[in-house]
Amino acid sequence: MKTTRHRTLRNDLIAYSFLLPNLLGFVIFTMVPIVFSFFLALMKWDGANPAQFVGLDNFFRLFQDEGFQISSFNTFYYVLGVVPLTLIASLALAVLLNGKIRGRNIFRSIMFFPYVASLVAVAVVWNMLFHPTMGPVNFLLYSLGVENLPGWSASVDWAMPTVIMATIWKGMGYYMIIYLAALQGIPGYLYEAAEIDGAGKWKQFWKITVPMLTPATFFVVMMLTINSFKVFDLIYVMTAGGPGRATNVLVYAIYNAAFIEFKFGYSSAIAIVLFAIVLVITLVQFRMEKKWVSYT
Amino acid sequence: MKTFTRLARAVATLALATLAVTGASAADKTELKMLVWDAANTAYLQPVIDAYQEKNPNVTISLISTSANEYSDKLAIMLAGGEAADIISVKSIPDYAGMVNRKQLEPLTPYIKKDKVNLAQYSGVTDDITVNKELFALPFRSDIWILYYNKDLFDKAKVAYPTNDMTWDQYAALAKKVSSGFGTDRVYGSHYHTWRSTVQLAAAQDGKNSIITTDYSYMKPYYERVLQMQNDKTVMDLASLKVGNIHYSGVFYNNQIAMLPMGSWFISTVIAKHKTGEATMNWGIVKYPHPAGVPAGTTAGTITSLAVNKASKQKDAAWKFVKFFCGPEGAQILAKVGNLPAIRDKDVVKILTSLEGFPTDATSKEALTTVKVRLEMPMHDKVAIVERILNEEHELIMVGAVTVDKGLADMSRRVKEALAQN
Amino acid sequence: MGQLHLRSRAVDAAGKGLIYFLLIALAALMILPFVWMVSASLKLEKDVFRYPFEWFPATPIWQNYSDIWTKAPFLTYTINTAYLTFVITGLQLFTSSFAAYAFAKMDFRGKNILFLGYISTIAVPWQVYMVPQFIMMRHLGLSDTHLALILLQAFSAFGVFLMRQFYVSIPTELVEAARIDGMNEYGIWAKIIVPLSKPPMATLTIFTLVFVWNDFMGPLIYINSDHLKTIQLGLRMFISQYSAEYALIMAASLVSLIPVFIVFFSLQRFFVEGVASTGIKN
Repeated sequence: MKTTRHRTLRNDLIAYSFLLPNLLGFVIFTMVPIVFSFFLALMKWDGANPAQFVGLDNFFRLFQDEGFQISSFNTFYYVLGVVPLTLIASLALAVLLNGKIRGRNIFRSIMFFPYVASLVAVAVVWNMLFHPTMGPVNFLLYSLGVENLPGWSASVDWAMPTVIMATIWKGMGYYMIIYLAALQGIPGYLYEAAEIDGAGKWKQFWKITVPMLTPATFFVVMMLTINSFKVFDLIYVMTAGGPGRATNVLVYAIYNAAFIEFKFGYSSAIAIVLFAIVLVITLVQFRMEKKWVSYT
Repeated sequence: MKTFTRLARAVATLALATLAVTGASAADKTELKMLVWDAANTAYLQPVIDAYQEKNPNVTISLISTSANEYSDKLAIMLAGGEAADIISVKSIPDYAGMVNRKQLEPLTPYIKKDKVNLAQYSGVTDDITVNKELFALPFRSDIWILYYNKDLFDKAKVAYPTNDMTWDQYAALAKKVSSGFGTDRVYGSHYHTWRSTVQLAAAQDGKNSIITTDYSYMKPYYERVLQMQNDKTVMDLASLKVGNIHYSGVFYNNQIAMLPMGSWFISTVIAKHKTGEATMNWGIVKYPHPAGVPAGTTAGTITSLAVNKASKQKDAAWKFVKFFCGPEGAQILAKVGNLPAIRDKDVVKILTSLEGFPTDATSKEALTTVKVRLEMPMHDKVAIVERILNEEHELIMVGAVTVDKGLADMSRRVKEALAQN
Repeated sequence: MGQLHLRSRAVDAAGKGLIYFLLIALAALMILPFVWMVSASLKLEKDVFRYPFEWFPATPIWQNYSDIWTKAPFLTYTINTAYLTFVITGLQLFTSSFAAYAFAKMDFRGKNILFLGYISTIAVPWQVYMVPQFIMMRHLGLSDTHLALILLQAFSAFGVFLMRQFYVSIPTELVEAARIDGMNEYGIWAKIIVPLSKPPMATLTIFTLVFVWNDFMGPLIYINSDHLKTIQLGLRMFISQYSAEYALIMAASLVSLIPVFIVFFSLQRFFVEGVASTGIKN
């Protein structure tokens, strides 16, 4: 990536002056608490009495904890379900709604609706559609002859797929917006030239659109991954981590440890593990960015 | 210019005088901050505060109110941040246990002794929240589990009403008898709300086993009974309730359930809904059913109490208010708006049962007298973790994901592990 | 030759028809939560979750829409929320764009580490640092203020990341040319980068708006006084210890969504902005 000619102190200072407004606020109000909470992972603290240093105790405990293992598995399950499917859905929607479709403004707005709607409404509607005994989905399946109707969010096996589907549905409008904005940045003459060369729509999509969208895709994958690892609110409203612990994810474990059991040190330890996982994935994606993201 | 200076001097003198007056009385004025939930919807709060402020004109009480579901979280955060509010409403035993563990509450025993507060008026409930001979809160409200029923549905089915002395088996048989209909028109004999307490409290009713233990096999017959009722469609199944967000109040007002084991907090709501016309059925209450061999009038209950913040700078003033709120005067005000106070002497029960809208039959009036009330959740420092485990396993058993035996075995194993941890 | 043309036209039409069908079906699915919200908002509480489900209540309870204003001071809450949204969004747009330019088009010591630091903090769920953050704010005397929320949310890593990704796709030649012409970095930012930022700025505005408008935990933790509360806190006032008044919650939610939709619709055109705004290759 070519930027300025060469680094000088002056350039550095100018660069930092650009960063400063955001950086200052960010460091003071976000970074400092985060760093502090990471140190908490080495302590035992209940929020009231003085913290006690316990070294790596919290980490030893957590790797042996059955609850942590369940949460980790559930989280990975969720991420692997949500990320690729949402990516494909939002890209498809953006491309579709960028073309000549009548009423595309209306369509775009409607796709964005679930994101804006109250979480409670989304959870209720989704649960209603997938209600095990009274919902239209099972009704349809029943009339198609399916015998073992899934219990959806009330079933240990189907709760996670149900939550994943609700997440994709809710999120695709959000990421579609990012792709839409990015699509504006693709110079039209590229398509014109390809048209002249005789390339069909599919070829244009793969050879022009996808490569030009790689910065946006990188962002979308990153945010999707991070947000999926951080999921909490939707699950809280749809299944409350249940049935049992079928949809209990890592952030749930963090929340329980901190606010139900008042083990802030232990909860920070879980958070560090979560953070480490996401960091590794982020680094891998960054490495790959250099290879597959094309910047001008 | 002259008028101006004269005017300015007059204003200054007036200001100084006012300052002197208010300055003097400011020294005597006490402002107490109280943490509560749902202030707008709690009918007794303001009347009690007004009554107290009338008697003590130099005290004002200001409320910091949070929404009910978020109260515990907000309280935890506020206290962690060093909040110095004087009076803390205690919503649940897990909250109480937590605050006691973290030494955030002022021990009240010395104040109780000094003012000679008679703890017997609380029917033994204060024993359940005494930790190492120290009491950290006084209860002002105590709700008990009772059985509600829809008279109209029983009349229609030509079945006799429930009585104040039924065993669980008799109750189950009655529920089956009064159920009728199919599909969305079905009338269910009874209803188990999604809380684990609706099933588990009955199991602990005889006092032989505690909710916090390492062996839950004692709950087996109770789970089996409820699961049978689910299979017979005598009650709606938990999965449908949870996924459909169905609340016990809705199905009760819609005449879809004939009986409902629920807490006494629901009484004032039912009365209110009748006033607005949303609910129109004839209803009554009876005592909570009991296991065979256990006297009628044994039930489970919850308490809501007030505590004094250890970080408060006005502990004496705070204590005085707490004593008032939790004393006989507070109890009468609570009763007048349809809530069950912790002090339940004859006068209080009379006020409650004579409230407009309260069922007029003798059985219902009797229903509120109790022989023994056990706390829904006993006091224990690991109560929060245990509660969570019990909730998770309860759900699995009720949706049929595990057998009763496996569910209870897992419950026992996990609670045992949790209790063993430090 | 003509026949081929005809057939491909038919295929085209069928394809288009299929696309429209899928879009409409999908759109219907997307609208469902709102249809439910409207339907629920016009019912008595006991009927909100009643089966069989009545999509269009026979007797709509319009009173719900007037009840929400009397049961809680929603006007105050709305004004508070609007104020917070406006300030936080404005600050976000400015500081993010500023910082993103440096990350995208300048080279400086510590750039990669710093950027990595930014992104990695996005990965930390707020539940983790919520309490230390609160304790810090309390020591600064900012508990129960709007300023606390503004300071916490106006300087986000997310905004910087988003803008940076857009800025890297602006041709560097443009920037270089301006530098050669003698323009300083601030000028480049103001005169070249910002005008090209409309799509990402619109995007960031929408995201920040929705986030602040729907933010619940932030106001819950930092605001105690009733006159400072926001819409989301107000909605919770309809949830009491033993029941929730979903009908009122949905009515209030719908009303509070109107400003969000207005902003969204008016920012739509920035996505429609064609190639014209970015076609700069000479």
